[in-house]
Amino acid sequence: MSTALKPERNVASPMERPVKPRRWGTKIVWLVVTVIVVVAFWNVDINWASLTNFPANAWKYLKLLFAPPDWSKTGQALDATLLSVQMAWIGSVIGIIVSFPLSFLATRGLAPIFVRWPMRGLFAIIRAVPEVVIAVLILSVTGLTPFTGALALGVGSIGTLGKWGYESFESVEPGPLEAVRASGGSRWQIMRWGVWPQAQPEVFAFWLYRFEINVRASAILGLIGAGGIGKMLTDNTQYRIWNAVGILLIIVIVVTMIIDQISGAIRHRIIYGSWKIVGFGRRRKSLNVATKNNATREGLNE
Amino acid sequence: MSTPTRRTPDHALQRPQKPRSAWKAVLALIALAVITVWCAIGVGVDFGAIARNWNNASGTLLQLAQPDYAFFPKTLTALGETVEMAVIATAVSAVISLPISFLASRATNPHGPLLAATRLVINVIRAVPDILYAAILVSVVGTGAISGVIALILFDIGIIVKLVSESLDGLDRGPQEASLAAGGTWVQADRVAILPLAMPAFVSQTLYTFELNIRASTVIGLVGAGGLGVLIDNVRTFYLYHYLSLIILEILILVVVIEFVSSTLRNRLAR
Repeated sequence: MSTALKPERNVASPMERPVKPRRWGTKIVWLVVTVIVVVAFWNVDINWASLTNFPANAWKYLKLLFAPPDWSKTGQALDATLLSVQMAWIGSVIGIIVSFPLSFLATRGLAPIFVRWPMRGLFAIIRAVPEVVIAVLILSVTGLTPFTGALALGVGSIGTLGKWGYESFESVEPGPLEAVRASGGSRWQIMRWGVWPQAQPEVFAFWLYRFEINVRASAILGLIGAGGIGKMLTDNTQYRIWNAVGILLIIVIVVTMIIDQISGAIRHRIIYGSWKIVGFGRRRKSLNVATKNNATREGLNE
Repeated sequence: MSTPTRRTPDHALQRPQKPRSAWKAVLALIALAVITVWCAIGVGVDFGAIARNWNNASGTLLQLAQPDYAFFPKTLTALGETVEMAVIATAVSAVISLPISFLASRATNPHGPLLAATRLVINVIRAVPDILYAAILVSVVGTGAISGVIALILFDIGIIVKLVSESLDGLDRGPQEASLAAGGTWVQADRVAILPLAMPAFVSQTLYTFELNIRASTVIGLVGAGGLGVLIDNVRTFYLYHYLSLIILEILILVVVIEFVSSTLRNRLAR
């Protein structure tokens, strides 16, 4: 009887700590990462000593920017921001119109493989090229206008919207699709009555999300001359009119945050069916965690 | 004998009435159309311009289609600088944002005002695009990689803190409660009970930020902040489109490779 309770010889005594598993793979990865970081610091062409007066410098410039900002430029800054937001809107509309049919062509079960993969490849390539570079390319066609900026944002939107689109089309419940197919629905009818009603809220939410991204990105496009926030910024930094830059920054921040809040609230309404002010630390009790997380992450990329 | 058939009541044969919400949809559509037209006028949408300029555009496109590979060796320095900027920015911002993430999550920071203040600051930082930081920093610190690195760090802190603190909010708080009950301070409890749980999410978000940095560091050079962007700016002012297309090709390959490596690592972490 008591023998049954005796511990076997090669089992560690219960008073000892269990031995920590040695994870060689993890250690090697950490080592490689450390080496890469050290080499980068070592090799980069930066005079680290110049950083010693960075805090003082930063403080000086913060004072130049915001103490006080040039309130008389408020109207001009608002106009520039408005133009950027309009660019973002038109870009989103172009992106939506083009990407919507294309994402159906990239969906498994709706399009044959030789159409699907080229489409996905196209989306991937577009996502890899930054909007500014797209704008530089389009420049030669339309010249330096806000319209060029909007077009660039539109093309950039196709990449992300197309991807989110086919992902959400593929993640719909198969039941309704089967029902449509069983009652003799054509490919088009399967899309219209099987896929679309299910994917609709999510797709609308993605459209809004992309608009938020475009608002941020449109500020960038002005830097190459497409007008709006970026243009006003370069004009004023070049002549070092810092308090005008200050007011511009304030307006950009406020407008971006307001648009994010409104758009976030509408997205919440579309997905969950109720109005809620979404804040910073909202919890996503989600319908579809994977896609939504993806979108949030992609979203943060300018 | 006829068995009495059960009659279906008439009203059951009728279709249920569709809720009338069509007018809402119509109103929304009209509103959207009005906004779009208003924006189109503001932006000056002109698809005709594309047709009119097609001649000189086709020349450019032809040049773009023929990347000049002889230019490759001259891009290597800039390419290296881009990657180095991304690595340094990711490393520094990871170190800075880990403690801030703990300050920005309700789960790990019981101090209300401090929590609100941290979140406000992070939200403000996040509202400014990376390249705007770069544009300002170029004037403050001077051109070159240094201003690019600082811009990327600011940008990254916003992202990592937001994503990590959100995943902290969703963690299992049992172990933390246990260590608080055993007499630990909040800092100790967070260190012992929360940090190990948060580690995979943190590493994964950092890797993700690295992907973003690679993409961002290729363009922040446009304002003079170092890396491939400087090169893009140079060749585009001289209309050297066959160089430009080589640079774009490089960015494409770099981004795809880095994303592949990083997403493989992140998937392994998630398991």
